[in-house]
Amino acid sequence: MGKIKQNPFVQKVGFNRIVLCFVLFLLYGFFCAMTQGRFAGMNRILSALNYAYFLGFLSLGVTFVIATGGIDFSIGPVMFCCALISGYSLVNHGIPMAAAMIISLVVGLAFGLFNGYLVAYWSVPSFITSMASMNIAKGAASVFTKTQSVSWPQASAEGGWYRNIIKMGNIPVGLIIFLVIAVICAIILNKTRIGRYILSLGSNKEAVRLSGVDVKKWEMIAYIICGLLVGISAIFYVAAYTTVQPGYGDQYNNEAIAGCVMGGTSMAGGLASISGTVIGVFIIALLQEGILALGFTKDYQLIITGIIVIVAVFSDVVARRRKN
Amino acid sequence: MGEVILTMKDIDKSFPGVHALDHVDLEVRKGEVLALMGENGAGKSTLMKVLTGIYTKDSGTITYEGKEVEFHNTREAQDAGIVIVHQELNMLGHLTVAQNIFIGREFKKGIRIDDRKMNEEAKKLFDRMNIGIDPTETMSRLTVGKQQMCEIAKAISHDAKIIIFDEPSAALTETEIEELFKIIRDLKAKGLGIVYISHRMDEIKVITDRVTVMRDGTYVGTLITKDSTKDDIINMMVGRVIYEDPKTQNMVPKDAPVVLKVDHLNAGKLVQDVSFELHKGEILGFSGLMGAGRTETARALFGADPIDSGDIYIKGKKVTIKSPQDAVRCGIGYLSEDRKRYGIVVQKTVAENTTMASLENYMSGIFIDKKKEKEVADKYVESLATKTPSVDQLVVNLSGGNQQKVVIAKWLTRDCDILIFDEPTRGIDVGAKNEIYKLMNTLAEQGKAIIMISSEMTEILRMSDRIVVMCEGKKTGELDISEATQENIMNMATREIG
Repeated sequence: MGKIKQNPFVQKVGFNRIVLCFVLFLLYGFFCAMTQGRFAGMNRILSALNYAYFLGFLSLGVTFVIATGGIDFSIGPVMFCCALISGYSLVNHGIPMAAAMIISLVVGLAFGLFNGYLVAYWSVPSFITSMASMNIAKGAASVFTKTQSVSWPQASAEGGWYRNIIKMGNIPVGLIIFLVIAVICAIILNKTRIGRYILSLGSNKEAVRLSGVDVKKWEMIAYIICGLLVGISAIFYVAAYTTVQPGYGDQYNNEAIAGCVMGGTSMAGGLASISGTVIGVFIIALLQEGILALGFTKDYQLIITGIIVIVAVFSDVVARRRKN
Repeated sequence: MGEVILTMKDIDKSFPGVHALDHVDLEVRKGEVLALMGENGAGKSTLMKVLTGIYTKDSGTITYEGKEVEFHNTREAQDAGIVIVHQELNMLGHLTVAQNIFIGREFKKGIRIDDRKMNEEAKKLFDRMNIGIDPTETMSRLTVGKQQMCEIAKAISHDAKIIIFDEPSAALTETEIEELFKIIRDLKAKGLGIVYISHRMDEIKVITDRVTVMRDGTYVGTLITKDSTKDDIINMMVGRVIYEDPKTQNMVPKDAPVVLKVDHLNAGKLVQDVSFELHKGEILGFSGLMGAGRTETARALFGADPIDSGDIYIKGKKVTIKSPQDAVRCGIGYLSEDRKRYGIVVQKTVAENTTMASLENYMSGIFIDKKKEKEVADKYVESLATKTPSVDQLVVNLSGGNQQKVVIAKWLTRDCDILIFDEPTRGIDVGAKNEIYKLMNTLAEQGKAIIMISSEMTEILRMSDRIVVMCEGKKTGELDISEATQENIMNMATREIG
C-alpha cells in the first residue's frame, strides 16, 4: 500500500482520485452485469448524464464554499428559484430566452452575494445563513410565480434552442460545457489568488488575516462563485426536465454535497479537489441511474446518498485525526 | 503555627521534551497561608495540577492528613477536601448563585430539585463567611469579585481542608481584594490550609505566612514572610544563574532615527496608556509577567484587536491602523506567540506560507507565478537555513524552529521594516533557539527595527538593546540594557498596585 502511494504517477494524480475512478468503473461494471448489459454503451451513459449536469454544477459550486470551511444548504432551492423566476419571466412576460438565462445567473449571483456577505462580514454561521436563504429562495420563488409550476418551452417550440446546451444532434454539448467549466474551476482553485486564499483561509483563517490578507473579501468571493454556478445549474436543470415546481429543491443539496465530499474535499475546509468533485458527481449520477435500473424506487436513492455523505465525511474525520 | 496537613515530596513530572517538575517539595500547614511563587513556567500550576489529580506524577509522594494519597481526578481531590479556586471562574452565568454552588450535587425532593433547600444552605454558607450575597441572584449579574466569593463558598461547601487560590486577585478591585483577604483570614482562623498563588508582591507580604519559591521546575526554598524582604523573594525567583553572553551595551547608534512611535495607546483592559519609541536597527525587549498586556499591545499595534485611543507614528508620519492589512501596508510584521494558530497555515506548503503576506508580487496576470514563488521560497530556505526536504513540503511536517523560520521568511518576503517577535523561541529547542537569536541580530544589523516580547529573562537580557517592562496593562518601566538586571526588571514587573 505504502509503495503504491509513493509511485510518482500515483502521487501526481492523487491516490484518492485513483481509488474513486476505480470505484466508478467497478460500480458501472456491477450495474451492467445486474441489468444483463442494458446499462452498457456510450449512448446509455450520455443519456443518463443529461440529467446529471445540473447536479455537477451544484457540486462544483459548493466545493468552493466547503473549501472555506463553510457549508451551503441553499444551493438546491436557490437553483429552483433561479429556474422559476427566469422561467416565469420567459413564459409569462415574454422576455427573450437569452435574457431569461441571464436572469437565472443574476438570481444565483444575488443569493451567493447575500450568503457570502452575511458569513464573511457579519460572521453569521454559514449553516444558519444557508438554511435561512433556502427558505427565502423557496418563498421568493413561490411568491414570484404565484405558486404555479413553470414549464420552459419544448425543443420544437419557439426559444426551444436552449435545450441544445445539453445535446445538439450527436454532440454531447452538456458534457463539453461541464468539463470546460470544471477545468476553469480547477484553474481558479489552484492557480489564482482566489483559490490560494480560499484554501488557506479554510485551513487557518486567523493566520491568513494576520498576514494582512482581506479574508472577508476572499471568503465572500467563494460564495459568489458558488452562486454563479448555481445559476448555471438552473439552466441545465430546465434543459433536462423543462418543468420546475416551487417549494422544492432541497433533495439536491445532499446529492451535490455528497459528490463534493466524496471527491476528497474536506468538510473542515482548506482541502478541495475539483477533479475529485467531478468523479464524485459521476458516481452519484451512476448510482441514481443504476438504482432505478435495478427496479428500486427513488426513495432508495435518498437513503444511499445519505449514507454516502456520512461515510465520506467520517472517513475525512478519521484521516484528519490520524494526521494529528 | 499548626500541624502539617499536606506534604508533597520529591514530586517529579516530565512532558515530552520538558522536565516540568524536578523533585519538588511542598508543605502546607493547618491555619496558615502559604504563598507559592515563581516566574511564568516555573511549574506552580503543574504542581497544583499534580496535587489535584489533573496530571499524574512520575515519582514522589503526597501525604495528606497522615496518609499517602494519589488522586486520579479533581473530583476525588474535592471529596478529600482539596479544592482549587481558579483564576478564570467556572460559573454558569444564567443559573442562580445557589444552583452554581451545588451544581452536580443538587438537593432533591423526589425527582425534583429542591431549590429552597439549596438557597437555605447557600445562605448559611454566606453567613458563615460574613458576606451578603443573595443565593437566588443570577450569577451573571454579580461583579467578578462577588462571583469569586461564590467560588470560595463552593469550595468551603465541599468541606475543604485545603483551598488553593490561583491568582485570585487578578480581576478584582481593591475593595474586593480587601474582602477576599478578610475571608482568607477567617478561613485561616478556622484551621484550613491555604495555598496562595500570586505575582503581586505586596499581597504576599500582607496575607501570607510563608513563601515557597519555585524556579524552572525546581524547588528553590521556603521563607517566613515576615522575616524576609521583597528583594529576598525576587532573588530566589530569578536565581543566580550565569547566562551566556548577555548584551552589555546598547548596539544602536545614538542618532538612529525613530521608526515607530506609539503614543498613549489604549486598547481594552490590558493596554492602558502605553507609549514607547522604536529606533532603526534596535531590538526592544518587552518584559513582564503573564497577563501584563505585552501581547495585547502588540496585537493592538498590528491591528489584530481594535484600538480605543492613542496615536501611532511610523517614520514620523501618523498612521491609522484598523486591521492587519493596514499594519502590513505600514511595513509591520507580526510573529505570533502561537505559531500554529496565528502564524502559519500548517496544511499548506513552505512556498505557499512564504508568500502569504505578499502574494500580489508573485502574480503573472491573474495566475500565481509558481516558479517565481518557488524561487523566493528557496532563497529564504537557504538564507535562513530552514530544514525542509523541499519548499513543497507541508509546514505541518516541520519542527517548531523551522516553522518559525517560515514565518520569518513570510515577513522578510514582504520586506517589513518593523518586526514584532512575540515569544520567538517558545517551544523551540536550544540549538534552533540560538539560530533564531543570530537571525534577529542580523536583521537588526540590517536596519530592521524589532520588538521582542519574551517571558524568559535570559532572552530579554541577551537580545534587547532597551527594555520596556509592563505590569497589568501599564508600562511600568523602561531600561537601557546597560542598566538592566534581572532584579530591577522583576521589580518593575511586580510593581505594587495602585
